[in-house]
Amino acid sequence: MNSNKPAYNNRLGIKGWVYAGKYTFERYLYLGHRLTGMGLIAYMLLHIIETANRMRGVVAWEGLMGLFALPLFKMIEYALFAAAVFHALNGVRLLMTELGFFLGRPKEPVYPYSSSIKRHRPLTYIIMALAALIIILGGSSLFFP
Amino acid sequence: MRETRLWSWHLLVIPIIIVLLGLHFAIMHYAPVFYGVSVEEARNFEAMIERGKSVAQLVLYILLLAAALYHGLYGLRGIIRELPMTPALGKIVDITVICVGLFIFAFGTYVTWWTFSYPVGG
Ligand code: HEM
Ligand code: HEM
Repeated sequence: MNSNKPAYNNRLGIKGWVYAGKYTFERYLYLGHRLTGMGLIAYMLLHIIETANRMRGVVAWEGLMGLFALPLFKMIEYALFAAAVFHALNGVRLLMTELGFFLGRPKEPVYPYSSSIKRHRPLTYIIMALAALIIILGGSSLFFP
Repeated sequence: MRETRLWSWHLLVIPIIIVLLGLHFAIMHYAPVFYGVSVEEARNFEAMIERGKSVAQLVLYILLLAAALYHGLYGLRGIIRELPMTPALGKIVDITVICVGLFIFAFGTYVTWWTFSYPVGG
C-alpha cells in the first residue's frame, strides 16, 4: 500500500548534515573534512590559473599580489590555510583509522559495549588540539609580521 | 579491482602532499619564521623567479601539482558520484574530471617550466 513512501523519512533534510541531535564528534569531523576538501580542490584549480599571471610580467604579478595583500584576501587566505591544516591533520587520523592503528584490539561484544571510536578518541582530541595550535601560530605570522 | 587501485593512489599520494604542501606553506606563510623575510618579500616577482630557477623546485612543483590534483579530483569525483545518478551520467562525471585534471596539470607544468626557463636578468 505504502510502497511509494520512502523507507527512511529524511525529516531533517539538509539541516541533518549539521545537526541531528546525537552526532558524534567524528561525524562533525567528517563534515569538516568534506567541506575543506571541496574548498581546497576548488582553490587549487583557481590557484594554478591565478599564479599563471606571472607569465604576463612583473607589473601584472605585483598587481595581483597587491590585491591579495588587502585585508579581505588576507582573511580568505587565512581561512584556506586553516582549512588545509585541519584537512591534513584530520586526514592523518583517517589514514591511521583506515589502516587499523590506534583502534584497540578486537574484543568480544559483551555488554556494556566499548567502541573502537571511543578508544580512538583521545588521539582524535590530541590531533585536533595540534591542528588548532598550528592554525593559531600560522595566523600570528600572517597578521603580525 | 580498478576502483581499489584508484582509491589506494588517493591515499598513497598523501605523504607527498604533506611534505610538499608543508614546504609550500613554510615559504608562503611562515617566511618570517623560517627565512627571515616578510610574507610580501617571499612572494614578489624576483623571489618567485629566483626560486623557480632551481631544478629541485621545478621537479617538486610538478610533483605537488600531480599529487594534489589527483588526490583532490579523485575525492571530488567520489563526492559527486555518491549522489544518485544513472551509470551514463556517472561516466560523464568521470570523463569531465579526468579532462579537467589533465588540462590543469598540463597548464601548471607549462607555467612551472616557463618560470624555470625565464631568462636570467630579463
Ligand atoms: C595535506 C595533506 C592531506 C591529507 C593528509 C589528506 C587526507 C585525506 C584523506 C585520508 C581523505 C579520505 C580518504 C578516504 O577515506 O577515502 C581525504 C579526502 C579528500 N581530500 Fe584530502 N588530504 C590532504 C590534502 C588534500 C588537498 C591538498 C586537497 C585538494 C586539492 C584534498 C582534497 C580532498 C577531497 C576533495 C577529499 C574527499 C572528501 C570526501 O569524500 O568527503 N586533500 N583526504
Ligand atoms: C593561501 C595559500 C597559498 C599561497 C599564498 C600560495 C602561493 C603560491 C605562489 C606565490 C606560487 C608561485 C610559485 C612560487 O612563488 O614559488 C604558487 C604556486 C603553486 N602552488 Fe600555491 N599557494 C597557496 C596554497 C596552495 C595550495 C593549498 C596548493 C595545493 C593544493 C598549492 C599548490 C601550488 C602549486 C601546484 C603551484 C605551482 C603552480 C604551477 O606550477 O603552475 N598552493 N603558490
